[in-house]
Amino acid sequence: MRKIKQLLENFNTLYIEEYKTTWVKTKLSTADDLLMVAKALKEHGLRTIATVSPTDFLEENVIEMNYFFEDLMTNRNCWLKCDVPRELDECEIESLTPLFKGANWHEREAYSMFGVRFLNHPDLRPIIVSQDFYDKTPFRKDFDWDAHDKNTVKNMQKIVDSFKAEEAEADKGIDAESSETVLNWGPTHPASGPIRLKVHCDGEDVIGIDPDIGFVWRALEHLVTKKDFVGAIVAVERLCFMDNVNSMTAYAQAVEEIANVEITEFAKWMRVLLGEVSRISSHAMGMGGFYNALGLHTVAMWNMDVREFFLDFLESYSGARIATAAVEPGGVRYGLQQNMLDELQLALDKFDATKDSVKDIFINNPTMKMRASKQGFISNLDVQDYSLCGVVARASGVKIDVRIDEPYAAYAEIKMDYVTQKDGSAKDRLINLFEELEQSVDIIKQAKRHIEEKIASGEFDPTKDQMVKVPKKLPRGEAISRVEWSRGEVLMHLVTEEKGTSPYRLKMKAPSFNHTMMLDKLLAGQTLSDIPLVFGSLYICQGDLDR
Amino acid sequence: MLKIYDFFAHAKSESLWMAHFCTGCCSLEMAAAMGPRYDWERYGYLPTPTPRQADLLIITGLVSKKMLPALLRTYAQMPEPKYVLALGACSFDGGPYNDSLSVIKNPTEILPADIFVAGCPPRPEAIIAGLEEIKKKMKAGIPSAASQGGLWKEMEF
Repeated sequence: MRKIKQLLENFNTLYIEEYKTTWVKTKLSTADDLLMVAKALKEHGLRTIATVSPTDFLEENVIEMNYFFEDLMTNRNCWLKCDVPRELDECEIESLTPLFKGANWHEREAYSMFGVRFLNHPDLRPIIVSQDFYDKTPFRKDFDWDAHDKNTVKNMQKIVDSFKAEEAEADKGIDAESSETVLNWGPTHPASGPIRLKVHCDGEDVIGIDPDIGFVWRALEHLVTKKDFVGAIVAVERLCFMDNVNSMTAYAQAVEEIANVEITEFAKWMRVLLGEVSRISSHAMGMGGFYNALGLHTVAMWNMDVREFFLDFLESYSGARIATAAVEPGGVRYGLQQNMLDELQLALDKFDATKDSVKDIFINNPTMKMRASKQGFISNLDVQDYSLCGVVARASGVKIDVRIDEPYAAYAEIKMDYVTQKDGSAKDRLINLFEELEQSVDIIKQAKRHIEEKIASGEFDPTKDQMVKVPKKLPRGEAISRVEWSRGEVLMHLVTEEKGTSPYRLKMKAPSFNHTMMLDKLLAGQTLSDIPLVFGSLYICQGDLDR
Repeated sequence: MLKIYDFFAHAKSESLWMAHFCTGCCSLEMAAAMGPRYDWERYGYLPTPTPRQADLLIITGLVSKKMLPALLRTYAQMPEPKYVLALGACSFDGGPYNDSLSVIKNPTEILPADIFVAGCPPRPEAIIAGLEEIKKKMKAGIPSAASQGGLWKEMEF
C-alpha cells in the first residue's frame, strides 16, 4: 500500500488517500498521464483492471473516468480517477487495452454508453447496445430516451437490416474452393441462452469467435437512477436471478457506506446465510448447465431436485422462490422464525443425502474427465490479464475470494479457505464448482449454528434486529463495494448527489463479461463440438453479461 | 358420433412440444417446471431444440429490442397450428423493466399471446396451469391469437 502511494506521488495528482483496507484512491490532475501511471502500476504488480466506469457530471461539464486496478496476488488495489471533457469531439482518452487485455470490452462498453472514445483501442466497436443506439450516448444524463422511444419501428428495422446484411456477408466465403463461413451459435440454441456467438469457421475448425451480446440488455444501470434507494434493489437483484441475494448485498453495502450506517450483527449473519443459500441454488444450476451442454440432462435434474429445497427456504423467508428482494439498505427485509430454520435444515439434510452419489457418478465420471480435461485451459496469467474471478479463477489455482480477501457481512468470523484446483481446464472448473457447493453448505451450517446460539442466549432478537433505518435522502458521496458473487467478484460503484433520493450512477461490474471475452482465445483452433463444452464450463449467465 | 378432427385436436393438445427458446429470466422457473418436483412431462410437454417440430412458443419474460427479431423468426419457422404462452409481468407490459427503453414493453401486441401467466417470475405450478389452459383452447379448436392478428404480420424480420 505504501509503495503504491509512493509511486503515485511521482505524478500530478489532486489527492492520494487510503480507502477501506485494501484500496488507494487517487485522482490525476490531467488525463494525459493515464498511460504512464497505468504502466507504472502494472510494473508494480497491479496487472488487472476490474472495470472502467465513466460518470457523467452534467453541471461540472466533465465525464469522470474511474479505473479499478487490482493485484490478485497480494490483494492491493488502486482506484484511479481522471476527467475527460464532455463535448463529443473532445471526449477521448488513451486506451489501456494494449496494456491490460481485460479492459477491452469494458472500454467498448464505456464507448457505447457514454461516447468516450479510446485512442489506440484495437477494436472499438459498440457492444451490448442494439443497433439503434450506435453513435448515440444512452447513459449520458442529457440523453432523451422519450424521443428515442418514438421511433421504435424505425429502430427495429435497423436491427433487422444489420442482421440481414451480416448474413449476406457471411455466406460470401462459401464457394467451390472454400467453406469458410460464419455460423450463429445462439440465441436459439438450446444450450446457449440469449447470446449469439458468431463462429468464424472453416468446415469443422473454429477460426475465431465474436460474441454478439446484449440480447437481455435491460439498461439496469440506468434503470436504478429512476428509482429510489430501496426501490433500486428490484433492478439490482435482476442482475441475475440465479443468485440475486449477493448482488443486493453489494448494492446495500454501498448505500450504507454513503449513509454512514452500521447494520446489526443479526443482519450481517442473515446476509451470509441467505447469500450462501442463493449461491447454492446458482451453483446447482451451473453444474447442470455444464452437463446440459455436454448433452446429459440427468445432473440438472438431480441438482434441481436439491435446489428446490433451498428455494423452499427462500420462499418461507421472503415469500418468493427467486425474486426474493430480501436484502435492502439497512439490513435484511424480514425477521427470522423457527419454521424457516426448519426448512433450511431439510435442505441441508437433502444435500448431504445426495452429495455422495452426485460426486461418485458425475464428478468422478471417467467419460467427463476424458472429454473435459483437455479443453479450455486458462492459465494463472490469463486470470490476471483478463480479470477473471470466481470459480473460473480458482480452478486455475489463483487464490482469490472476496469473502476472505476483503471480508464483508459476517464472513470475517466464518472458518473457510480458498477452494482451488491446479490445471484450469474445463474439468477443473466443474470440480471446483462442486467443491464450492460443499463449502457453501459448510458455511450455512456455521452461520445457522451461530444464529441459533445467539437467539437462544438472547443476544439476537430475530423479530426486531433485521433493519436499521437508512435515511431516504443521502449526502453527496461515492462508494465501491465488492462481494463474492456466485460467479465471481461483483464490484459496484455508486455515486450519489447531495440530498439525492435515487442513485446518480451505479456501475455494476459483473464477472460473466470478462469470462465471455475469453471464448475467442479458448476456442480458436478447436472444433465446433468443443463450443458447448467450453461455454458451459465458463459458467456464464447472460443476465449479468448484459445487465 | 366422434368426429375425426376432434381426435386430431385431442392428440395434438396432449403432446404439446415447446420451442426451446428463452428470451428472459422467467426461463429459470420454466426450467424448474421441467425439473423433478414439478415435472411437466407428466402432462405431455417437452422442449424441442428446433422450432420446426414445436407447437408452442413461450415468451419467457422480457423481450429486448435485439431479441424481438429472433423471437418472430422462431415463431415464423413453426408449423401450424401454433400457440403462444406469455410468462411473467415483462411480457405483458415490461414489468420491472417498464422504465427501461431497451426493453419492448408490448411484446404481446406484436405477437399476441393465447394465455398470460402472471408473476415475476411465475411459479412453476402457475406455468403448468397456463399450459393446461392452452390445451383446453386446442381441444376446443379455437384458433390461436397470433393467427388472428398482431403487429408481427406487418413487420419485417
